[in-house]
Amino acid sequence: MADLIIENLTIKYGEVTAVENLSINVPSGEFLTLLGPSGCGKSTTLFAVAGLNHATSGTIRVGDRILFNGDRKATVPPERRNIGLVFQSYALWPHKTVADNLAFPLILRKMGKSERDERIKEALGLVEMLPYAERFPFELSGGQQQRVALARALVYRPPLLLLDEPLSNLDAKLRERARVWLRELQERLKVTTVYVTHDQSEALAVSDRIAVMSMGRMRQLGSPREIYETPADSFVADFIGSSNFLDARMIEGGTDHALVELGDGTRLTTAPGRAAADGTLVVAVRPERISVATAEGPNTLRAKVEQKVYLGSVWQYVVRSGPVEFRIQTTFEIDAPEVLLHIPADACALFSEKPVGN
Amino acid sequence: MTDLTDAGAGRPAFDRSRLIFWGVSLLTAVLVFGPILPIILQAFLDKPLYDDTAGLTLGNFGRLFSEPGVGRIFLNTLYFGALTMAVAQVFGAVMAVLVGRTNLPGRRWMGEVFIWPLFVSNLVIAFGWFTMYGPSGFITLASRTYLGGAPWNLYSVTGMGIVAGLSQAPLTYLMCLAAVTKADPQLEDAARSAGAGPFRALWSVTIPMIRPAMIYSAVLNFVIGIEMLAIPLLFGGPSGIQTVTTFLYDKGINAAVRPEYGIVGAAAILLLIVVALLVWLQGRLMQGAGRFVTVRGKASRPSTLDLGPWKWAAFAFVFGFVLLTILSIFGGIFLRSVVTFLTPLIPIWKVLTTGNFELVLSSETYVRSIVNSVVVSVVGAAIGTFFIVVIALIARRSEFRFRRPLEYVALFPRALPGIIAGLGFFYAVIWMPGLDAIRGTIFVLILAFVVRYIPVGFGAIAPALAQIGDELDRGARISGADWWTTVTRIILPILKPALFSCYALLFIHFFKEYVTAAFLYQPGSEIIGTTMLQLVAQGDNGPVSALATIQVIITALFVFLARRLLGAKIYG
Repeated sequence: MADLIIENLTIKYGEVTAVENLSINVPSGEFLTLLGPSGCGKSTTLFAVAGLNHATSGTIRVGDRILFNGDRKATVPPERRNIGLVFQSYALWPHKTVADNLAFPLILRKMGKSERDERIKEALGLVEMLPYAERFPFELSGGQQQRVALARALVYRPPLLLLDEPLSNLDAKLRERARVWLRELQERLKVTTVYVTHDQSEALAVSDRIAVMSMGRMRQLGSPREIYETPADSFVADFIGSSNFLDARMIEGGTDHALVELGDGTRLTTAPGRAAADGTLVVAVRPERISVATAEGPNTLRAKVEQKVYLGSVWQYVVRSGPVEFRIQTTFEIDAPEVLLHIPADACALFSEKPVGN
Repeated sequence: MTDLTDAGAGRPAFDRSRLIFWGVSLLTAVLVFGPILPIILQAFLDKPLYDDTAGLTLGNFGRLFSEPGVGRIFLNTLYFGALTMAVAQVFGAVMAVLVGRTNLPGRRWMGEVFIWPLFVSNLVIAFGWFTMYGPSGFITLASRTYLGGAPWNLYSVTGMGIVAGLSQAPLTYLMCLAAVTKADPQLEDAARSAGAGPFRALWSVTIPMIRPAMIYSAVLNFVIGIEMLAIPLLFGGPSGIQTVTTFLYDKGINAAVRPEYGIVGAAAILLLIVVALLVWLQGRLMQGAGRFVTVRGKASRPSTLDLGPWKWAAFAFVFGFVLLTILSIFGGIFLRSVVTFLTPLIPIWKVLTTGNFELVLSSETYVRSIVNSVVVSVVGAAIGTFFIVVIALIARRSEFRFRRPLEYVALFPRALPGIIAGLGFFYAVIWMPGLDAIRGTIFVLILAFVVRYIPVGFGAIAPALAQIGDELDRGARISGADWWTTVTRIILPILKPALFSCYALLFIHFFKEYVTAAFLYQPGSEIIGTTMLQLVAQGDNGPVSALATIQVIITALFVFLARRLLGAKIYG
């Protein structure tokens, strides 16, 4: 297994910059996820690592092999990179059986028949598809095809495995099971893995680290917990999970906490952060971190219940206090027209501006 | 640090894919431009191309325009082309809607019969019309005897245009049929639920969608009209009516004895320019046709319209068309081949004979032309299919820098009339040193036919190629296959049905071809088409009909086998 090093990678298509100055170091055996909305450049990055589209500048290395070097315009063609890749559509060759799909990369590597058969058996065993070796792709369900695609990418034991939204064509239930299974398999094989998805819950569930991308740039790189609990900017706070963004004014900044004032005059103690030059800022609070309080105290406010939605496991409300409108989530039903809420200081992240689009 | 070296799949550093890209592109360029270049040169030379003392001149164009009757020739050609187009479009479109979307009785078999003319050459069709509707044709005489008159005259530009139009109607039919039957039925359903009756829905929603097909086939038929040789030659010859193609044919054939190279070159260039402009115009008109594209996702059959009591009137119209312009033409050819003399005035059984076939089969030349035709088609179609599929793979499935230009060059022969392709190859073989070895062999015929029909084969392969998702190539590349291994091991096997269709189409086109070969054959390399052309000129109708019958039978056999055994799609 090897580590993947991407340095200052830039990919341009004519005037459009799809990926800008991206640097990521994926240590050997890590499961890294590129997460972002569609068009953020995550798949473009993945395919540049595979050699299937052309980077403009920067370097890509696997272990001590240079795959792309923009300075010297040197690039290794995809067939000589020895990387495993699973496509969103699986890309199983329809005219070959499952076993033949797996055999093709081994034949290209000039492997003898007996060794080949052994490898195919091992790889199919790994994905629990051994009984289907002689089937054709069209005879398999979506979930089975996905497993075969994974086996085909692993059968030649590449040091690096790339996965391009491999679960997005499965139905919701299957997707949840598949991601657990995928993670277990990756831990067993210890293969360095780069996973591309736009589904944040998937990314949180499977990754060692997540790189959140937007508009060709990396916004934050960290463990799932870091990304969720301490988002680096308002885009990440908005994209991962869901957040309320409340306009506020800085009253008192500090190194371990800050004091801000909301539009309705409520003062909140929050985690430290910086305001914009004119003293305005936004407070990001996740709906599930706001709780119903029993008595007035610090960081509490009274709000009118405006809208109520039953979501099965929880209730979601839109509440309003003066000009401040936000969402809260509870596990029980609130009947009163008004409610007293508590917003914990460590649940409030401060950002100088709202995410683009809000 | 190992630098760009150790290979994932242990592959040689030598890049054969680039060699293939460049080799195929150069070959394509040479084959396509090779025959055009000498024609252009010849148009501006005052002596034959191979004469070293020839000098540049513009005089050829002056001589061409001072040639008596040249204005007439160009007018004839344009009128003939326009009439061909108009007749073909009207009949083809009406038939397509009636057969494709109504409950017309017998529409299945009549729809099948309707495409027969596409399998045989204009020469055979023209001969069939001559046999039945010529001045002493079977139906002409019958009509004169029993109905007291036959108010048609094939030996006029109008007559020729109507015949050519009726014989091109199947092409329009085929293209419009695809448009009316593949239109998304949900669009009509939407019109119905918005309050339109079934006729109204068809008229306002589906009929407008055949516009691209109409535009495309209209230009195509116009081009086919102005580059058609057989009908003007057969019907115009006796009455002294000339078109550009018959002019080129006469002068080109006579060029061996009279110094008219320059005029031929000049006329050929004018024709080439006109056709190239039309093909360009076709491309322009088709831009934005995307808003008519409704073929998406699953195929589902649109509902058929109930014509009610009108269906028998429609049946009479369609059946009359099929009987008078297709069945009677083929019937006339077959009938003529088994009699000594075809006339409604003598009972058939009194003139029955096997003499025509005996004559054909006992003549070394005739048998050789049949054998040559079969060899050219069987071998040529295989060579052509391979060449075309490699071009298509490079143009559509590679990272070759010049893949777009390659496709343009490969599709250029659409604008290359057969008579000019033939003339061009004729010049090229004389002109280029070393090519004398293939002069007058069937090899040069195969070469010329392949070049001329690259666009036909490309048209059969490209849509199928577009159906194969490119992640299949990408999957193979990342698994360790280079470009050539990817396309040969992954793409070609999946493309097999389209390859069969391409082969079948090329076979049929090669087998019926005669114009392109007219200047290229020599004793020993005759094909059925050129032999018939010669015999028609001599008025030897017996052997012509026997050869035509043999050609039709072999074609029918091939089409049957290709559809059954290979599952080839030939015209729908």
